[in-house]
Amino acid sequence: MGPQSRSSRMSYRISRFKSTHTLYILLLSSLALLQFIAIAFFAKGFLLTRTVLDNVAEIDPNLKYGPKYDKMVLLIVDALRFDFVIPVDENHPKYNPYYHNNLKVLHETSHNSTDSVLLKFLADPPTTTLQRLKGLTTGSLPTFIDAGSNFNGDVIEEDNLIKQLYLHDKKVFFAGDDTWDALFGPYLAAESVPYESLNVWDLDTVDNGVISFFEEYYVNEQRRSEYDVLIGHMLGVDHVGHKYGPNHFTMREKQLQVDELLRKIISTADDNTLYVVMGDHGMDHTGNHGGDSQDELESTLWLYAKDANWSKDDLYNTTNLGSSYKTMNQIDLVPTLSLLLGLPIPFNNLGWPLDEIAKDPEELAFYHEVCRNQLENYLSVSNIIGATAKRDALVSVESHTEFQKMFLEICKDLWARFDFTSICVGIAFMTFSLILLLIVIKLIPSIVVGQMVGDFVGCVVVLSGISNVSFQGIYQVLHQPAFLDNYIWCSAFATAVGIILGVLIPIFDRYSVQWLCLRLIEELSDYWSRIALLFIVIHALLFTSNSFTIWEDRIVAFLLTSFGMLALYEFTFLPQRHSTAAILSGAGEKQGTLSGKSVGESNSDSLPLGRFARILGGYHSIVLVLFTRLSSMITICREEQGEYCTPTFTVSNNYSYYTMLGCLILVPGIPSCIKGYFNVCSSYQAAAPIWIGFILKASLFASFLYWSLLTIENRFEDLDWDLTIWKYTISRIVAGMSLIGCNIGWMKGPLCVKLNIHNTDMKSQQATILGYSNVYGSQYFLLVLNFLMAIMLFNKPLGQLSIFLMCNQLLSIIEICDLLKLKESVIGPVALGLLAYQQFFSTGHQATIPSVQWDMGFILTEKIIFPWTHLGIVLNTFGPFILVALSVALLTLWKQPPAVLQPQTILARIVSNCGTLLIYNSVLCLSSFVWVTHFRRHLMVWKIFCPRFLFASLCLIVSQLVVTFITIGFASSRLIRQISQLFSK
Amino acid sequence: MPPKNRKTVKKTVSFSDDQNLTNANIHSHGRGLGDDDTPPVYVRKSLSLIPFHLLGLLFWFLKYSDFNTLGLLYLMIPTQVAYLIFRFNKNTIYGKKRLRVNWLLVFIALGACLLLSVPCLAIIVLFGAPFVELLRESWLLALHCCFLTYPAVYDVFNCNFKVGYFKKYFISVVIGCWLSCIVIPLDWDRDWQAWPVPLIVGAYMGSFIGFAVGGYI
Repeated sequence: MGPQSRSSRMSYRISRFKSTHTLYILLLSSLALLQFIAIAFFAKGFLLTRTVLDNVAEIDPNLKYGPKYDKMVLLIVDALRFDFVIPVDENHPKYNPYYHNNLKVLHETSHNSTDSVLLKFLADPPTTTLQRLKGLTTGSLPTFIDAGSNFNGDVIEEDNLIKQLYLHDKKVFFAGDDTWDALFGPYLAAESVPYESLNVWDLDTVDNGVISFFEEYYVNEQRRSEYDVLIGHMLGVDHVGHKYGPNHFTMREKQLQVDELLRKIISTADDNTLYVVMGDHGMDHTGNHGGDSQDELESTLWLYAKDANWSKDDLYNTTNLGSSYKTMNQIDLVPTLSLLLGLPIPFNNLGWPLDEIAKDPEELAFYHEVCRNQLENYLSVSNIIGATAKRDALVSVESHTEFQKMFLEICKDLWARFDFTSICVGIAFMTFSLILLLIVIKLIPSIVVGQMVGDFVGCVVVLSGISNVSFQGIYQVLHQPAFLDNYIWCSAFATAVGIILGVLIPIFDRYSVQWLCLRLIEELSDYWSRIALLFIVIHALLFTSNSFTIWEDRIVAFLLTSFGMLALYEFTFLPQRHSTAAILSGAGEKQGTLSGKSVGESNSDSLPLGRFARILGGYHSIVLVLFTRLSSMITICREEQGEYCTPTFTVSNNYSYYTMLGCLILVPGIPSCIKGYFNVCSSYQAAAPIWIGFILKASLFASFLYWSLLTIENRFEDLDWDLTIWKYTISRIVAGMSLIGCNIGWMKGPLCVKLNIHNTDMKSQQATILGYSNVYGSQYFLLVLNFLMAIMLFNKPLGQLSIFLMCNQLLSIIEICDLLKLKESVIGPVALGLLAYQQFFSTGHQATIPSVQWDMGFILTEKIIFPWTHLGIVLNTFGPFILVALSVALLTLWKQPPAVLQPQTILARIVSNCGTLLIYNSVLCLSSFVWVTHFRRHLMVWKIFCPRFLFASLCLIVSQLVVTFITIGFASSRLIRQISQLFSK
Repeated sequence: MPPKNRKTVKKTVSFSDDQNLTNANIHSHGRGLGDDDTPPVYVRKSLSLIPFHLLGLLFWFLKYSDFNTLGLLYLMIPTQVAYLIFRFNKNTIYGKKRLRVNWLLVFIALGACLLLSVPCLAIIVLFGAPFVELLRESWLLALHCCFLTYPAVYDVFNCNFKVGYFKKYFISVVIGCWLSCIVIPLDWDRDWQAWPVPLIVGAYMGSFIGFAVGGYI
């Protein structure tokens, strides 16, 4: 063949490769888009959002009102369901002596007198204490993510009742649930005593604390003058519910205890003091709460003041567990108390004052006017509805009460309802995307996918278009389906449907369901695939219980260690599956492994592994196991792990001299370790010494300098020099160089091979190419290093040590997969995925919102500036995931000699491995969707399951983006084209 | 280069066939019907091999001993020796005959188990057991695991080391431990969740099943 035809053939091949590559990216992007839409729909249904305004209300001078009561005693009995406090007929089918007719004092006092009033108190979901306290004090409907507030569950910045008390110089004493301390800490007096609230096994500590606090400050009348407001929050009833359920004798004891305390309080009541007893939510028949069932929502409110003369009506019907008893919304408490205490109604309030508090209709009308003013003020400042017809209709309502009802309904629609249709749509789309990924990536042979990819993309584009047109048409004309809020959601829905159909049609054009099932069984027929499946299933099932989710860090490390141990077993004992495979494939030729050939080459065709390869494999397995154990010692414990976990990722450890010494050792340490892995196949040539020996080292040293400056700032308080400018200079240089400079350098194609003419081999007279066998892998790894440099900068010192261990673990996993011939197997990406999770936890993270290292956002800039702050937090939080999503291509490329496989084949294999990683992450994401929906009533849903679902979604998004656009889109095609052009025959 | 590599691709395709063949091989080993494939040493299929004493010990441990790990170990070692002498050794076929108990080896195997507990401890720690605190408990667990495999250790010493036939007994204990880890994170606050009780139970169960069905595999 002449050179002319060769080069033309080459260019034809390259152009074909280019077009296939583009189609692959389009296919993967459309699958990614489908998953993003799934996540968006699920999040829309599950996460209720609300914008919080920080405005603080003041009393309108035109509508002045004074306090009716100067002091208040407020007792919250957690989970005080309404039927606990009213008399229940013993013949009623639902009568239960453990929780009925024990706490009688409230009804007794309010029954025939006008001193006190007892009401059914209706909570808004979610019925968890934190959300309820926010609702009870702000008068608003709080949601999981209050956009605009900080995430830490810390002090409520929003205008609220306690803040108003504080601003009006009222002294607030508090005892009980420490959620109060977290929410209102600065507004409470120093005498307050918060108690640990999450230990539901402890039934008495909080209650006894509250009772003794009341004994000291209330029953002891001399001390009543020290405060204006006394607040107690008892948890006993709630904890009995969580621990035993309501149907237990301890419930009776707890209720009697409350009853006794209340009688004591009432018997010594003062004039001019308002007494309030309430529950924050109810409990369901199992004793849990958090959801929106009637039992969980119905709580109790009791108002009392000496000679109060509440204007009561006759709607207090206690028959049939009080099902027709007069109700009051929880948010109505805020305006009621504000008016009674002469405070301005908090700015974000949506509630309406209780009719009973006004002594005559005139006063009531006045109160209503005050409230309407506040609501209209909120409506206009927050601009919550926008300038729509809805708003005009609302403002034109004459009756104040009607106005409030309508406004509340509108806000509820906006904020406080799980949208099950959206949740189900999200879950369905995610399931479909998983099935599609599975079929496209694993079930259809990768060669065939290469041929079909054009069909896929064509179908997806056409069908998305058609589906968009039809759905938009239906939506615009008929406004159906109704759960789609606007045309954007409608087109997202339509696009997702289009993508699903567009991928399914070419598949079912060629294959039947039966065939696909058979393929699935066949795919899972070998040992390592089953191990991988086991790992995936175990990891996905972790979300079925809060305990497993809490301990995910240990479990993931355990699974990764298990992989290392299985590999070690394989290398030590060589179980029969290898030897038989080798005999069958006729690879009897046992090549001498010590003959100077590189291991990768000599083993590439001969199974049973040679002796040297076994030793090497054993060594890599041990490195993997050992380093997994070492790195998992670095942990920032979850709150829920409690006494079983000692945090090591602390400020003092991070900035200790030992850690900084470790970081200094890293500077030459990482390059020399990587050099070791390169040397195995003599790839440490040409570009590698420059990249690894110089650029990486310099960048690591600069990061070290940056972190030592921070350490100096941290350890020496009275430092005269201003290090800020130095810090920013260094960090910006490192980030710019690694993320931009080095990647541009990489685009030029840094080969790691060398022509060796001085051949020591006596027989051959030809020149050899050193590093030939790993030409792909060595060059690709340089790209991974670029990101490694940046991620190092954005990790705290202990995190850097962990990332160093990760480098070794990563390369060891890849070596193990190469030695065991698992380049195509599912286990490789799964092991890497596990590594990413293990390293996520050992770089000082947990799947909770408070553990996000927000300070990493301020490494490049002083203020929040869009890409830089976010870049820092993303690189810090998802660093391990980014590294793994990049290096999953190495499973194919590592020790892949050139000119063996067609460019398309290599690309197809990379896509297959990347896809497996995505499948793994999708399974986790889907599992978290399903279980967070299942546990939406769980006590811990907002603390454990919901953050885990957010984390799973973000992981999937990050992995998708990195895999599709960097691994496959940017790096693979460039690398494969370059090398196949260079080494083509 | 290229043709060879194509073979590699083929290999993966035909992998499931290999598996069958491997299984077939294993089965013929297990049957031990006197053909050439029969391993020189194997354990007969016999119901008398079922180690009921392990269940008894476990029952005592969970019900009456207040989770006395050390006491369980003291009880277990003699019963394991007795099990070896009266049951396991009688059902082990060397070549084509049975051998009498080699008393010296009985004691050597005990020492070997003791030594084996050190690498076993290392593995337990590598899997995530706390290293500094609770080291004594971890070591007790390692000792339990090692002495549970004691009959197999004896047999390994009694024949050629290269015979891989007894691996399954070790593996069964490991799998028992591995599976029992599932209860550790649960927040039930039970006594038996304390380290290393669940793993000991797992190891005993694994060993019970391993020794009971070992002859049939």
